[in-house]
Amino acid sequence: MSPLARRSGGQRALLSAALLAVSALWGVPLAGQHEGMHHGGGDGEWRMPPMAADMPMLPGLEGALPPVDPFLAAAGVDPMSLPEARPSEAVTLGDGDTLAVTVSLVRRTLQGHTLAMYGYNGQHPGPLIRADRGSTVVVRVTNDIQLPTTVHWHGIRIDNRFDGVPGLTQDPIGPGESFTYEIRVPDAGMFWYHPHVREDVQQDLGLYGNLLVVPSDPEYYGPAHREELLVLDDLLMDADGLIPWGEQAPTHALMGRFGNVMLVNGSPEAALTVRRGEVIRFYLTNVANSRTFNVAFGGARVKLLASDVSKFEREAWVASVPIAPAERYVVDARFEEPGQVAITNTIQAINHFRGEFFPHVDTLVRVVVEDDAPEADLGAEFEVLRENGDVVADVDRFRPFFDRPVDHELVTTVRVRDLPLPIVRSMEIDTLYVPPMEWNDAMPMMNWLSTAEQVTWILQDPESGAENGDIHWEFEQGDLVKIRVFNDPESFHPMNHPIHIHGQRYLVLTRDGVPNDNLAWKDTAILPVGSTMDLLVEMSNPGDWMVHCHIAEHLHAGMMFHFTVHPGDEGDEGGSDAAGGESAVGDGGQSAVDDGGQSEAGARGDGEDVDRGTEERT
Amino acid sequence: MIGLLTLALAAVPAADSPTCVADPEPPTYYDFPLVSTRRVPGTGPATGVGRVTFAASPFGVALAADGSYLLDVWLSFERLRLPPEGELVVWFTTPALDRVVRAGTLDETLRFSGQVRWNKFLVVVTLETDPDPSAEVWRGPIVIRGMSRSGMMHTMAGHGPFEKENCASFGY
Repeated sequence: MSPLARRSGGQRALLSAALLAVSALWGVPLAGQHEGMHHGGGDGEWRMPPMAADMPMLPGLEGALPPVDPFLAAAGVDPMSLPEARPSEAVTLGDGDTLAVTVSLVRRTLQGHTLAMYGYNGQHPGPLIRADRGSTVVVRVTNDIQLPTTVHWHGIRIDNRFDGVPGLTQDPIGPGESFTYEIRVPDAGMFWYHPHVREDVQQDLGLYGNLLVVPSDPEYYGPAHREELLVLDDLLMDADGLIPWGEQAPTHALMGRFGNVMLVNGSPEAALTVRRGEVIRFYLTNVANSRTFNVAFGGARVKLLASDVSKFEREAWVASVPIAPAERYVVDARFEEPGQVAITNTIQAINHFRGEFFPHVDTLVRVVVEDDAPEADLGAEFEVLRENGDVVADVDRFRPFFDRPVDHELVTTVRVRDLPLPIVRSMEIDTLYVPPMEWNDAMPMMNWLSTAEQVTWILQDPESGAENGDIHWEFEQGDLVKIRVFNDPESFHPMNHPIHIHGQRYLVLTRDGVPNDNLAWKDTAILPVGSTMDLLVEMSNPGDWMVHCHIAEHLHAGMMFHFTVHPGDEGDEGGSDAAGGESAVGDGGQSAVDDGGQSEAGARGDGEDVDRGTEERT
Repeated sequence: MIGLLTLALAAVPAADSPTCVADPEPPTYYDFPLVSTRRVPGTGPATGVGRVTFAASPFGVALAADGSYLLDVWLSFERLRLPPEGELVVWFTTPALDRVVRAGTLDETLRFSGQVRWNKFLVVVTLETDPDPSAEVWRGPIVIRGMSRSGMMHTMAGHGPFEKENCASFGY
């Protein structure tokens, strides 16, 4: 058993404070790491991020710098002394297998610059871990960088002890220390892992990887010739290398840090060769700090299969794949004409200064379509849009509760203090119109100068008035909870937010009052400015779990809280049953759903009480 | 004429639209007023409001392949009387008027719902005495019109903190 004691308000406040403190914690005096040190082509001093040549400097900001110190990884270390990062390597883990993962410095060469970055096992991205649904794999993480870190297993309905949240589920893994994660994978699909300590820095510098949970049903998806990963990221660089990050607090706190160098699977020059008519299954993961991509496939037909934690009820043809930070989508694409095309980020960007939208295209992957067709022609199968009866049946169990009253509301907003006056004035004028989505950093100077010390992004509970870490929600395992989230457009600087809930799965029931007629289980969903979405969360997994915006800078600017799911009568640390197709937290138990939106506690199928999350100091 | 709108642009009663199976609650922030031109007898006092939200999408954010927003649009009016002859036809156009799409006609309750694929657009309602569903641009007088809220986003050159910037140097 892993009983979760009900915490008093004081204990919760302390916990929340610890969360915030750890989120800004470096653990070692970084200033000492920077003294007299140089990195890449830069010198560890602030450099203004690149701006469009036709955008004038905001008067009054000439020479302004963020009120925090600049940080670069391994300043003072010759990057040439570091091992060159390898591309991600796939590793298949059987039930009970252990993978040792070391967090370390690596060398990358990007845009002609030799850079010190981070890697898992010397890889960027980290290893692609493949595991069978329902299995348990063990990952022993050793921290060989000079910052504390953790690993969060994003989207996995994991045992709470292994969720990787410093100050909530574990202590941060200090330099030289290790932590062993035991990861049971109840749901099929593509998941990912990343640090939960200053991810605006660590994740941006390369600490991310995928965890592919292989369904037990070989026909879970339709047929495809092969699978490809598209791990989408962006890095902010200038002619001297990487633009430093904020040491004491993140910079770019208003809009998040948008990069100007697009990376796919860690590469700015990703390429792919396919055969005419080949059906390629793409697993997309957005690991960027802030950027929402709109991925277009060069005219290929694209069929949407799945998202974060499940397939969709029905497959659908899509023109492109808008994917917010931390989201995943699975699509099949078929390139039918030989030649060269590109997978692109195709957006209508905003030029706030000119007050206009303009088309913008980033090439993500260059695709060569060879003229020879594959032996097996999957064209007929590709043309079929399947209805996923397993997902429909799973969702059907929850459909009677779609109209239940809203249990909790959240409003997103922002407060600022001590921002330079020119920024405040400019933004006040700019709020004549706020776009529902920010596809690009339209105000790079103002954004760069705003730090998490001046900007507080807020999740507010309007019922209690509580904000961020002061929000206290408690549930019983098996509860179904409807949460309404509203992105207040009247705040000082509203922005879209990808809302992530740890350790559970949820359905996006409605957006702006319009029911979602093709559901998939999610762990992260984008909330545009002005919009309202109703989520139905299945509280299947006991523990203390975070809710936060997955724009890294917004998270560290306060936009998070946690809730507690108390174990049910039969529950232990393992979570409830949620059997439905390829989703089963337990081993074949039945639905936890009963009447009235409440549910019985599900029983964990294996009943094994694991206790391997011990911190090991070396 | 460039037809950027889908077939769904055809005027359909809200209850029949696949994206309108429930009462939509579009964000009021993006509402925009519809203003009479007072050019057509009986329509002078008319007012209206346009409301938008993302069209239904598995992604939550509905986009066309070029990244433009795919928006559901609802138009409703007050004090608008149907003229004795002709039809009130809804058009969407870009602010530069270089692209125009016939979106449909007002229904019996003088309401309209459809979709638009532009981030910044004008709504134009005209009185057409010789309705032609294939018409590429309006011929009759404009009864009422409005601009999406995004139309309020304008150049900062010459304004506010950039008042000393020479507008002409930015191509205006």
